[in-house]
Amino acid sequence: MALLEIDGLSKSFGGVTAIADLRFEVPKGQVYSVIGPNGAGKTTLFNMLSGIYRPDEGSIRFQEREITGLQPHKVAAMGLSRTFQNLQMFFNMSVLDNVMVGCHLRTRSGLFRAALRLPGIVREEREANRLAREELTFCDLERFVDLEAGALPYGVLKRLEIARALAVGPQLLLMDEPAAGLNDTETAEMQRLIRRICERGITVLLVEHDMGLVMRVSDRILVLDYGSRLAEGTPSEIQNDRRVIEAYLGGEVQYAV
Amino acid sequence: MKRLRGLFLLALLVVVLPILFPDNYYVTVVAVSAALHAILAVGLNLLMGYAGLISLGHAAFFGVGAYTSAIITTRFDLNPWLAMAAGILLTGCIAFIMARPILRLKGHYLAMATLGLGMIVQIVLVQAEGLTGGPDGLGGIPPLSLFGWEVDSDLRWYMVMSTVMLLVVWLALNLIDSRSGRALRALHGSEVAAEMMGIDTTATKTGVFVIAAISASLAGSLFAHQQAFISPDSFSFFFSIELVTMVVLGGMASTFGAVFGAFVLTFLPELLVVFEDYEVMIFGAILMLMMIFLPQGLFVGLQGLLRRLLQQRAPARLPAPAEEDKHGAA
Ligand SMILES: Nc1ncnc2c1ncn2[C@@H]1O[C@H](COP(=O)(O)OP(=O)(O)OP(=O)(O)O)[C@@H](O)[C@H]1O
Ligand SMILES: [Mg+2]
Repeated sequence: MALLEIDGLSKSFGGVTAIADLRFEVPKGQVYSVIGPNGAGKTTLFNMLSGIYRPDEGSIRFQEREITGLQPHKVAAMGLSRTFQNLQMFFNMSVLDNVMVGCHLRTRSGLFRAALRLPGIVREEREANRLAREELTFCDLERFVDLEAGALPYGVLKRLEIARALAVGPQLLLMDEPAAGLNDTETAEMQRLIRRICERGITVLLVEHDMGLVMRVSDRILVLDYGSRLAEGTPSEIQNDRRVIEAYLGGEVQYAV
Repeated sequence: MKRLRGLFLLALLVVVLPILFPDNYYVTVVAVSAALHAILAVGLNLLMGYAGLISLGHAAFFGVGAYTSAIITTRFDLNPWLAMAAGILLTGCIAFIMARPILRLKGHYLAMATLGLGMIVQIVLVQAEGLTGGPDGLGGIPPLSLFGWEVDSDLRWYMVMSTVMLLVVWLALNLIDSRSGRALRALHGSEVAAEMMGIDTTATKTGVFVIAAISASLAGSLFAHQQAFISPDSFSFFFSIELVTMVVLGGMASTFGAVFGAFVLTFLPELLVVFEDYEVMIFGAILMLMMIFLPQGLFVGLQGLLRRLLQQRAPARLPAPAEEDKHGAA
């Protein structure tokens, strides 16, 4: 059974159709990539999956439950987390606090208990702290723990966003262009990180322009063009797909698999 | 406990001052106002500094608290503590109802909406003469008493007000240093990312708005009993701006910054005669200068300066980013 099932999904902004009658399924435990030229509707798709945009039509089923139109915090509570194409860091907070915010759903205390620092708060804080440090270590960020997020270079921030999203404890992680703006070393690290996330049993839905990375890291690929499905299949199927080569790759992109 | 070091220092100051300077006007009178302002500023700072939601109408909640206490104790002869609780309940309800429509707005729009809220309350206080006494105000408000201990002298008010201030600071520190506090700050950093981390941002905004309102109401009740007489002038738009100036001067998103701002802006007018005629202008100028030259606030700015000075002596402990080069965002 697929972890995520999308059916008949559509969204337009004024006259612009961003996603048109899209259908696909993401199997559990895989790295599933969505590629397509600029403006193909990849980010719009992510925004609908995560509850930020409400689809005009269609349904989104996650873990066999309808999540169409749910608010983002409800979607997150069901086990879906994401990173953003343009960084959405909490720049007013420390690195550790950023990731501790990710633990929000794994702790319970409300305003009242916190203000009075009733028993249990200290233990809960320690637990959130431990979880956050674990994710920071997993993303190779432990040396930055005590720094302010605003003091970090771009490449590190990209990984910090992932650590924060992992702290939510997701079943499905949406990553919107995690390698954008990274150099070759960092991109190689990112590739390893994506695979390691998948090995933890977290399904990854990836949007990425770096074709080399996509081909190396993905189990399956969906190609979007003007908001519709152009092709879907394994990396080698996509690489040999006539329509994809014509419409998108244009024969000019070369990559090693 | 390192977490509460600042609070202990403040408490020490509160205890030592009246011992060092007994019967001093600045201690037993001005410091009481300063502590009252600190309660208000700390509450407003949760909203403005931490959650990043501006309010130009905070005096309204202060006013509702003060008038609820005044009306209930003078017209219905009820216990002041009961009146205080009623004020908190009423203010909390008003804030809760107003929160949804108002807090959907951002930036200028939020500023305008809270400004409007402040004005409406002010007008009601002036117009509802039968209840509030109108522009002439309400007098004869009884003093507070605690198990027979009447709060009837300047020194006793000093004790009560500074105790409540310490309590409010303690609550604020606890709150910020918790799951809910992180949710507030996250909201400020990126609302969409906060939602995505599972934070119900609407509920969080409502919560902090209600908390800020409640603390203002508490301050209002104390103020009413301390003054024994209140009039709408104390709850004007200008007072809202004064509170905002305190938060900005101390440094947004710093509880002790808010306390600092409240004390500086309460003592300055007492010390400088020029303030009397140009009060509004001087507050305006302070706001402008702070925004231009020291947007992080005086207290936070000084703290940073101190830390840098200390760090210059000790070897820097920043980890050397080996392979992480700075890249421009794509
Ligand atoms: N909030 C919005 N309002 C209006 N139009 C939008 C909005 N979001 C996206 N669009 C439009 O929808 C289309 C798809 O945009 P989207 O950002 O989803 O593309 P993308 O595939 O993520 O592109 P890129 O690779 O550049 O990130 C574009 O034409 C874009 O202009
Ligand atoms: Mg995009």
